[in-house]
Amino acid sequence: MNRRVIIFGFLLGVGFFTSSQLSAQTEPAQAETTYTAPAGAAAPVAPPVRKGSPLDHLTNDPKLATPTVGYKEGNVGTPDYWIAHRFIDDMGGCAWGWVKKKGDDWDSAKWVALRENPGVAVAPYRKLISHDADNNWEYKFWGSFAPYKAYDPHLDEMVPVFILEGYEVIGPKDPLNIQAGPPDRVRHRPSGASSRSSRPILTDPGVD
Amino acid sequence: MTIPLMRFFVTLISFLILGTMAASAQSSEDIVLTGAPALRFLEHGKAASHDFYWFNFVDASVIRLKELRDQAKPDELVTWAVYRPGYVARSHELEMDLLPQIEAKAKQLGANLFWFDTKEELINYLNKGRDRDKIKITSFDYFGHSNKACFLFDYSNTIDTMSIAFLHVRDLKKIDSDDFSKHAICKSWGCHSGEMYSQWWKSHFDIPMIGAIGKTDFSHGGEPVLSNSDGKWTQ
Repeated sequence: MNRRVIIFGFLLGVGFFTSSQLSAQTEPAQAETTYTAPAGAAAPVAPPVRKGSPLDHLTNDPKLATPTVGYKEGNVGTPDYWIAHRFIDDMGGCAWGWVKKKGDDWDSAKWVALRENPGVAVAPYRKLISHDADNNWEYKFWGSFAPYKAYDPHLDEMVPVFILEGYEVIGPKDPLNIQAGPPDRVRHRPSGASSRSSRPILTDPGVD
Repeated sequence: MTIPLMRFFVTLISFLILGTMAASAQSSEDIVLTGAPALRFLEHGKAASHDFYWFNFVDASVIRLKELRDQAKPDELVTWAVYRPGYVARSHELEMDLLPQIEAKAKQLGANLFWFDTKEELINYLNKGRDRDKIKITSFDYFGHSNKACFLFDYSNTIDTMSIAFLHVRDLKKIDSDDFSKHAICKSWGCHSGEMYSQWWKSHFDIPMIGAIGKTDFSHGGEPVLSNSDGKWTQ
């Protein structure tokens, strides 16, 4: 009887020991929930901006109060251009404005994000003192729609992308009587996904 | 001790030894996911201008990778997933090729470098890049731009203040929850993840993800720190 008890106890001990070893092997070490930053060294200094580069122009060229009517930039001149209406989104979105085919109604216009092409053509407001100084100005745009959409993290929405190849300044126009934003913009409640606002959290961010 | 009892004992020990060996054959993987910096052209002149330093996310990732490498068991994989197009674009702007520098850092760390160009490539790696029946993800860290609903691999890198490459909370359902060990330790070092992303992560994977309430600051070049006075880590 005593021998059986000893053997049973021994097997139990072996099993316990082995299972602890197994557990120790399969469970990862607990990581610290906070990490102590090492003494930070200064970040490397960027190489000097090359003279004539897009960043050099952006940084050093004189800025204008408003666009210059008739000014052209990039690849322009072909007859297949678009009409673009700049509009600052009063909901805080970062899209550029509307773009429509020339000759079409504004009802058919798309609310777009602008993919600039540094060195060829960039957003007209890059030449202005204030980025919103061309609100409600219109342009001829040359370029095309991208096969993808952009995510606006301020409003948690997807926006068509227009790839800009060139533009010509038409001039200031009356505000359009259409609502800013993509057709599926959530208008009855704030987005909540923005990293730069204190809007409440959405239960459904509304992005596919 | 009788012979049948000895046989039983030997058999039991053999099973235990074989079980232990089988368990040790199961490997694990630590994954560090790194997004790209903005372009200076697109951030120029903004009051809150991002990413003066092009390797802010990379340096922070390297610190974490070193920690993981130091803690790793011999058969543990350490993988560094980096969003390539963003570094290509920043290289072009800087007129300095950053990709070989990242590759050299990965080699020095002994980390497996996985370049990805799209969200789909990343998801495919998480699901099928390893035999997930045998190799579970035991730690996951994200360094990059984010809002509460998204990891933004690209932010202000292609389009001003927007993203064309991201992992939205709605994309999490495309990642198999079995990819992760049930004890996996996950953390997003990006801004605001603790305000929404962590909850969706926990809901989908049934494992917590530490995330920030408020913003995080990568600008000093080391590991990011909470930058809001009322900021905190949560999960």
